[in-house]
Amino acid sequence: MIAAGGFITVNLIALQLQNPAQDKVWLLFGVWTTCALIGNALSARLLPHRDPMLFPLILFMSGWGLIGIQRLAPNFAERQMVWLIISTLALLVVLALPNILTLLRAFRYTLLVTGLALLVGTILLGTNPSGQAGAPELWLGFGTVFFQPSEPLKIILVAFLASYLAEQYPALRAEGIDTTGKRRIWTISPRIGGPILLMWGISIIVLIWQRDLGTAILFFLVFLLLLYVASGFTPLLIGGALLVAVAGVVAYQLFAVVRLRIDIWVNPWLEADGRAYQIVQSLMAFAAGGIFGQGIAQGAPTFVPVAHSDFIFAALAEEWGLLGVITVIGCFAILIARGLRVAARLSTAPRSRPFHTLFAVGLTTVFGVQALLIMGGVLKLVPLTGVTLPFFSYGGSSLLISFIAVGLLMRLSSEAEQD
Amino acid sequence: MRFGREINRLLIGLLFGFALIAAAAAYWAITGAETILQRADNPRRVLAEAAIRRGTIQDRDGTILAESVSDNGVMTRRYLHPEAYSVIGYYSQRHGTGGIEAAFDAILSGSERAASGDLRRRLEEEVLHLPRRGSDIRLTLELDVQRALVDAFAGAHGAAIVMSVPDGGVLGMISQPDFDPNLLDAHWDDLRADPGRPFFNRALQARYQPGSAAQTMLMAGALLTRQPLDTPIENAAAPFQLGDLTLSCAFALPDLELTLRDAYAFACPSPFADLVIQLDVSGVQGLFDTFRIGALPSLIGADTAAVSGGGAAPAPQMIVTADNLLAEALGQGSWGLTSLEMATIAAGIVNDGNAPQPTILAAIRHPDSQTWITADTARPTLAIATISTARGLQDLMRSAAAFGAAGNAARSFLDIGGHVGLAYTGEQTLAWFVGFVTVDIRRAAVVVIVLEDSRDLGLAADIGGTALAQAWETLQSSAAIP
Repeated sequence: MIAAGGFITVNLIALQLQNPAQDKVWLLFGVWTTCALIGNALSARLLPHRDPMLFPLILFMSGWGLIGIQRLAPNFAERQMVWLIISTLALLVVLALPNILTLLRAFRYTLLVTGLALLVGTILLGTNPSGQAGAPELWLGFGTVFFQPSEPLKIILVAFLASYLAEQYPALRAEGIDTTGKRRIWTISPRIGGPILLMWGISIIVLIWQRDLGTAILFFLVFLLLLYVASGFTPLLIGGALLVAVAGVVAYQLFAVVRLRIDIWVNPWLEADGRAYQIVQSLMAFAAGGIFGQGIAQGAPTFVPVAHSDFIFAALAEEWGLLGVITVIGCFAILIARGLRVAARLSTAPRSRPFHTLFAVGLTTVFGVQALLIMGGVLKLVPLTGVTLPFFSYGGSSLLISFIAVGLLMRLSSEAEQD
Repeated sequence: MRFGREINRLLIGLLFGFALIAAAAAYWAITGAETILQRADNPRRVLAEAAIRRGTIQDRDGTILAESVSDNGVMTRRYLHPEAYSVIGYYSQRHGTGGIEAAFDAILSGSERAASGDLRRRLEEEVLHLPRRGSDIRLTLELDVQRALVDAFAGAHGAAIVMSVPDGGVLGMISQPDFDPNLLDAHWDDLRADPGRPFFNRALQARYQPGSAAQTMLMAGALLTRQPLDTPIENAAAPFQLGDLTLSCAFALPDLELTLRDAYAFACPSPFADLVIQLDVSGVQGLFDTFRIGALPSLIGADTAAVSGGGAAPAPQMIVTADNLLAEALGQGSWGLTSLEMATIAAGIVNDGNAPQPTILAAIRHPDSQTWITADTARPTLAIATISTARGLQDLMRSAAAFGAAGNAARSFLDIGGHVGLAYTGEQTLAWFVGFVTVDIRRAAVVVIVLEDSRDLGLAADIGGTALAQAWETLQSSAAIP
């Protein structure tokens, strides 16, 4: 936490020196410091056995993101500050509720139906905060506050799947095993195939109705990996990848948004001034950053449209360079490693806790897959999917749900230690 | 351990994914960076260019002729004196550079320091990412001489050079028509289409036929071969037929007997045709070789090729044969001279046969310094004539300015010499004036005026006289250039 504080302080001073007209820099520092100190102290008090690295790590990432937003789009920084306060409070609430995991499991159907209802709500009442005509309407608006229902659905869906798979995993692991104890890989029973097709169907519906490629892929991949961990059935991953490919081909034919993203992924240079402007500028930001970066507020990352949101990774690359990029990747790698370490400890605990294990795997996988999707998209490794970079990107719903997810991981880590 | 193997595999898979991301980022940041950053559609290039604070361009007295001013971090180039427009040229982010801006672009833009590996610059640009700052330059140019030239031209097309002797510093240089570089971006297409070719720097790049302006060099041959200068020549004022071309004196003169001195003063061709025949092929060839025709230097330290589209056409190799003897020797053949080259020859004559190499850059001041550093432009003079020949030519030019066709150049109380000449190039006639004024025993100034599509030698001489008077005043009162 001290290292995070040092980094945030130095960068805020540099930002203030570069842009003396920005008057909210010190307010931002105060808010972040308060969240960090109070959050750390209370989390230590509420859960003494939690993984102590998780909270400082996400504070570091969200603080860095806040600096990025202040640098790139100062008008949005104040709102993100408010969301940081709300998110820290929400995390502390999660830590303060001793039976939250039981509640999530007990009310899994109610929560899933509510989550899906909110998602359907966006089909009927959805809006886009940018007000841009033709932009995906993935938000529900309450006055000046916008909320993206697909964000809480990430936790709800993971809780639901973890609960379902915790009950079904012994049967799943016995599926297709013959009398010699070997697994017949061509055997796909309804017990395995059914949920896959159901989840694939939900993802396709999200894609068709909401044109939200990122959420659709994220849901499906997280589900697939969770099912793999539960069943231990490796060919599932190949089958799932084939289903993604089939869905991709069909979506390419049917949806302009998918066609656009795949076309500019294959060859952005032909339309560098047109449809591929954003991805080309993103790659230029990486090139301009080089190894050491241009320095905060000294590059030109604002050439990347909406750099403060989906493309904040490119903006960080331009101003903090490859060293900054590797630091960001390292943060996510640590988060994933710590999350899966919690899962591994729960799986070896004396008390049988398959739900807890799979829930920790699911939450961690959401962060890992989402980060890989957006970082890979920004770097032209995979087609752009339009998801946020957790903790860094501008977006209240994303920040809130990410903090709650980490709160749940901290609770799971505490229980793993106590076992 | 339930799920242990799968969790480990998932961790390895996700970490492998992050490693791939890091590798891709390293590729774009290191290996692929140069290619992508050099793309024409990289807006960062425009931004970096717009942030460069180019150095100022100043005349010899420190008057700022061009400067960069900041408007919210974007630099705009301003040109402050219309009389200097044609020599200063232009700088435009969209259209590049021309004139002095092009000739000294490396100094003005700071790229010269960037290439030198200067530590302070590297700290400023590569660590602190401060916009690049170029160095200021001080020219040998004198704004008053420029003003005198532009006013005297009064819209005529052509070129003029004024050079100080013995240092070879260009005091004035104009090319007409010119344009307002402050309005370049708005008028670019019109200027490009303008039949007057305002972008063409006539003073440095136009290679004009000398016509009877070549008589000065022929007179050197006459002096070397000890031809009688004051012996009357019959029909000296008569026109001379060169193929289809009728060459005549500067003015229509009555059918008088003229001496060779008179013929030179009135630029009459017939006596010189006789002289050429006497000198013969080898004599004429040797004469022009001595004057280094085709091998005269351009401005020292300036990238004249960049001035506007490739510099002057290369000087044709001058080979005199029996077939082309008269045409070449009378300045109506295949060769030509730039105004600067003619000024160098004139400077050689007034400098007792030693031509200074021309320069326009006097001093440089780096952005982090208050001290002007004298430009490294000292070069040996070029021997083009003996002292006695040079002094003989000086006297002949004084006579021409005193009572000949160059009389309009004469100014009271000034030691001025000059010679006028007409050249025929296609359907166009060029009016030349080449002259000098002495300032003291060591210092002088020379001027070359070329008026395009004009037979008005009186006007050419008058412009020359005005420029010489202003140059005299400048040199009389000038402090040493720092």
